[in-house]
Amino acid sequence: MTDSGPETNPPGTLDGTGKPVLEIDSLTKAFGGIQAIDGVSLTVNDGEILGIVGPNGAGKTVLINMVSGFYRPTSGSIRFNGQKIDGLPLHKVGRLGIARTFQNIRLFNRMTALENVLTAIKQHTTHPILAALAFAPSRQGIDEAMELLDLMGLTARANQGAGELPYGDARRLEIARALATKPKLLLLDEPAAGMNEQETGELIEDIRKVRNRLDAIALIEHDMTLIRALSDRIIAMNYGKIVAEGSSKEVLSHPEVVEAYLGTDEEEDG
Amino acid sequence: MSAELAQQIVNGLVVGGMYALIALGFTLVFGLLDKLNFAHGEVVTLAGFIAIFSVNMGLSIWLTIPVVIILTGAVGIIIELLSFRRFTSKEGHSVSALSSFALGIVILEMVRLQWGATPVQLDIPKSIYISGTVLFGAPIPWIKFAIFSISIFLMIALHLVMSRTKIGRSIRAVAEEPTSARLLGINTTLVTQYVFVIVSAMAGVAGLLIAMQNGIVTSDVGFTFALKGIAVMAIGGMGDMRGAIVAGLLVGVLEGIAFSIGWGGISDVIVWFLMILVLLIRPAGILGGGRQAETRV
Repeated sequence: MTDSGPETNPPGTLDGTGKPVLEIDSLTKAFGGIQAIDGVSLTVNDGEILGIVGPNGAGKTVLINMVSGFYRPTSGSIRFNGQKIDGLPLHKVGRLGIARTFQNIRLFNRMTALENVLTAIKQHTTHPILAALAFAPSRQGIDEAMELLDLMGLTARANQGAGELPYGDARRLEIARALATKPKLLLLDEPAAGMNEQETGELIEDIRKVRNRLDAIALIEHDMTLIRALSDRIIAMNYGKIVAEGSSKEVLSHPEVVEAYLGTDEEEDG
Repeated sequence: MSAELAQQIVNGLVVGGMYALIALGFTLVFGLLDKLNFAHGEVVTLAGFIAIFSVNMGLSIWLTIPVVIILTGAVGIIIELLSFRRFTSKEGHSVSALSSFALGIVILEMVRLQWGATPVQLDIPKSIYISGTVLFGAPIPWIKFAIFSISIFLMIALHLVMSRTKIGRSIRAVAEEPTSARLLGINTTLVTQYVFVIVSAMAGVAGLLIAMQNGIVTSDVGFTFALKGIAVMAIGGMGDMRGAIVAGLLVGVLEGIAFSIGWGGISDVIVWFLMILVLLIRPAGILGGGRQAETRV
């Protein structure tokens, strides 16, 4: 059923080299008798933002959970910059350069905004024991963390508890924290969930600001404004399979996508 | 204030500091893994006998401190490896509780095989129990101040490690949101090991301090103190470090006051009933910072 469609976005128009960053091949995942992912193959290329759309239960989050190391695939493979990553423990996936945000924001709520980012900053000292015991994070670490908070407009919130942040700022902090690991690939799982139109607009600007720090972004989203504004290429999923792939115009007007998903969403979008 | 009451309050603070050191271990492990470490108390016992062994080998009592820290820290690694590492399933909480309970008994029985079940004298100069000062008419030997100062110093050190260092931030990150922490590149196994080393070494120092205070070590000391440590952890709020410190000192002083007004016989009833009340009325602990605070909406 996969519609490979004509590739209308030549990789050359993007910042990156267009080389594949993430390669997923014939991936399946079964939970008991339920086939959550059913033979998905896709690539995320250097320089692009890939949008992944589909109705609830289509398997989008399961897919991201497998890339970030939560679940082992039932079959198939996931390669990141050529290296096989399925089956690696979460922290190794993180250290290789994959970061993500969660649909329900998962911050360290008992820490300040700055501490949240510092937790993710890579060490500047070489010896792990010295690094673990180093009192007061290095000046360089704090500067790096503050720079990320500045980027997301959170400078004034640095010493505020993460649990007290308003929703939009919490999402921005989650992105800043993800960037602190210096990832190559950022996975965003419904970043606009629960946001109003204005907040979504700000989020779009924020993601545009950070994209040049990353090789690529994969984005799951229901909000079509955000998907249209950001995606260079879109993949539509349903019942664990890819049903359409191509430019946003092609995919969002694909009959199967409209039927499975957009019919209801367009009404919301007005 | 009567001399008797002053005496008992000072005693209560000194004992309460040790309760707090032990309860901090329970609460840190609970905050990190949601699990109770029932081998924790026997580390206290073991430390007392390590102190006796070291002193008998000719070390001064102060030089036994690093020896105790290193050896009990190593025991912490073993406890984590044997009774916690593998049990990550839903039933893991009960399995770890059972396994660590058994491990505690193994440690205790090994101690008894080596040193017997009767009290063993700690060979330190008796003068340290005599010279001192007078507070509110009550004579207080310097050793009590030393013990209390060491307890407070360790608590401050722990606070600094948790709030200022990379490992402290990692521990807090894993305790609160393990999934995010792991994705940010934090190795949760390593963090868990660090925690077991820290809490076991703290329990070890507590065991040494108890030995110094009593001048003798008995093999049931760990059991007695660990029980109190569990009560203190619950009263302070499970997972709440500040709560454990405040509750430890509070329980110590409460016991002291109970003794000074002739209620010594029911001091345990008071403490444990307080724990039942706190769990019912203030499940997140006296300061409200415990685990239960997050699950209550």
